[in-house]
Amino acid sequence: MVLKIEGLVKNYGDVKALDGLDLEVKQGQVYGFLGPNGAGKSTTILSTLGLIYPQHGRIELVGLEVFRDGKYSEDSLVEVKRKVGYMPEHATLWDFLTPMQTLDIIGEAFGIPGRERRKRAEELLKLLNLWEVRDKKVGKFSKGMRQRLLLAQSLVNDPELLILDEPMTGLDPSGIAEFKDIIKDLNREGKTVFFSSHILAHVEEICDTVGIIVKGRLIAEDRLETIKREFLRKAGYIIILETNKPISFEGTGWKATPLGEKKYRIAAPDDIREELHDFVASQGAKILTMQVKEPSLEEIFLKIVE
Amino acid sequence: MIWGFRLEFKQNLRTKKFWVIIGLMGILYIPSFYLMKSFLLQSGEKITNEAAMNMLISSITGMTSFFVAILALLIGATAINSEIEKGTLRIAMSKPIKRLHYIAGKFLAHSLVLLIALLFSTVVSILGVLYIGGSLTGRLVGDVLLLNMLLLLAMIQLVALGYLISTFIKSATTALGFALAVMFIVFMIVPSMVGFLAIKDTINSQNTSMEELQQIQKYYTTKYLFYDPISQIKVITQDVSTNVQNPLKAGYRGIAYAIKHNMVNFAHILWLTVLYLAVGFYRFLRMDLR
Repeated sequence: MVLKIEGLVKNYGDVKALDGLDLEVKQGQVYGFLGPNGAGKSTTILSTLGLIYPQHGRIELVGLEVFRDGKYSEDSLVEVKRKVGYMPEHATLWDFLTPMQTLDIIGEAFGIPGRERRKRAEELLKLLNLWEVRDKKVGKFSKGMRQRLLLAQSLVNDPELLILDEPMTGLDPSGIAEFKDIIKDLNREGKTVFFSSHILAHVEEICDTVGIIVKGRLIAEDRLETIKREFLRKAGYIIILETNKPISFEGTGWKATPLGEKKYRIAAPDDIREELHDFVASQGAKILTMQVKEPSLEEIFLKIVE
Repeated sequence: MIWGFRLEFKQNLRTKKFWVIIGLMGILYIPSFYLMKSFLLQSGEKITNEAAMNMLISSITGMTSFFVAILALLIGATAINSEIEKGTLRIAMSKPIKRLHYIAGKFLAHSLVLLIALLFSTVVSILGVLYIGGSLTGRLVGDVLLLNMLLLLAMIQLVALGYLISTFIKSATTALGFALAVMFIVFMIVPSMVGFLAIKDTINSQNTSMEELQQIQKYYTTKYLFYDPISQIKVITQDVSTNVQNPLKAGYRGIAYAIKHNMVNFAHILWLTVLYLAVGFYRFLRMDLR
């Protein structure tokens, strides 16, 4: 187990940020930590790294217990941080430094010797397409470049576990795609990736496991497909159907709403795509397009909370 | 070297506030020494070594106690909260560094920045004294260094007070405004009021001699302004000269003598510095970095 959290409680005054959170991340996983804003994602990450003080619970990170019942073991924390990379949300870096200097100073924190630091910095800057701007001050960087440098700084120590807090916020679609590819590559290299997001699309394709946190509690944890299927099972299916000629749904028991002359939105308790094929054919029509409407993360949250 | 020291030092030397303070000190020194030289030329007097040293001490103390003190408080007041706002603190503390080592590195860097500001003021003062006809002696250099250490201690107290502000006020901008208000009210208005009370009491008791007034002022400052390192420094350095009213004709006793004869004031600077630092560090070690 790379990360194990048991019964973690964190209150900010009267506000319960974490309410007995339990979480496990296995070696080699890409774990998507999903939740709406204010659900407790960042609080969980900050607690894991010893940046905030939870009141109760237990945290085990890369095999070492770092927190138990209100106390961090600072020696263990320092030890595990050698094996962990962290990319914070909404962070800037030191504006007056260049990417090369930034990575050099980060490498210094890990006690990496000078020549090795420079070599590692070069590798990372090339990997993240920042080599061309290695001597430019970070203060002049675009949002995308900053995000890539933030990721680079989290990789300086070649970590076993990579913790990314909302890494794709503010990126354009091509930036998001690029980021996803990088995460996939890092995972292929054997790194465990734990990253938080409040946007479902960000975790799709790359996560093998997803945990959903709402009001400081993990309310679902499984493969994303399974969570979605479970949602559809509970909420029912929405199918968008387009045919070559108008058809009537009278007497079917399905709730069909016309979206156009030959386009329908059909709500059904089960997956009725096969039945629809037969039904449309029985009306002498052909299906042009048919797709199940993907639930949004918000819809899943709402359903699970219900 | 403690990690973060180099980074913090570089960062602080690049701030506008540092260069504005240095620039202002430089600009204000030039006319003050020019006027002094003009006065000496007009009166036809030649400056003695003792008088030169008196002037040097009062010049360094006067200038730094105002400008470097502002710098110290401002550096401290934004030391932690601004890093939390920017997110750089979260990055730094996610690395294998203990919180105590991090804040110690920051503190050392801040102390060095202040020392540089003090040394700048000292070098300009020495040049000024040479310009008006004083000469550089071994004692002068030794005493100037001792004075710098004393001033550094006082400035560290203000940095430490700033750390406290920085750990309590989350917004760096609000903390900056608060620190300036503290500087203005606590370190400027209140000492003036205490000084006024001392004069009032002197007049009431019909003790009109300057020596009596100085004694009462010293008593009031020690008692009511113990938290103000600048006022304590002024009390200490008053005893450097045998005649505060006319430093050109006064004898020179030395910094060591002044400290020895004002141990209570020195102790006030010391214990409050230790207290502020201890509380500031403790707060940082226990605070949520979010």
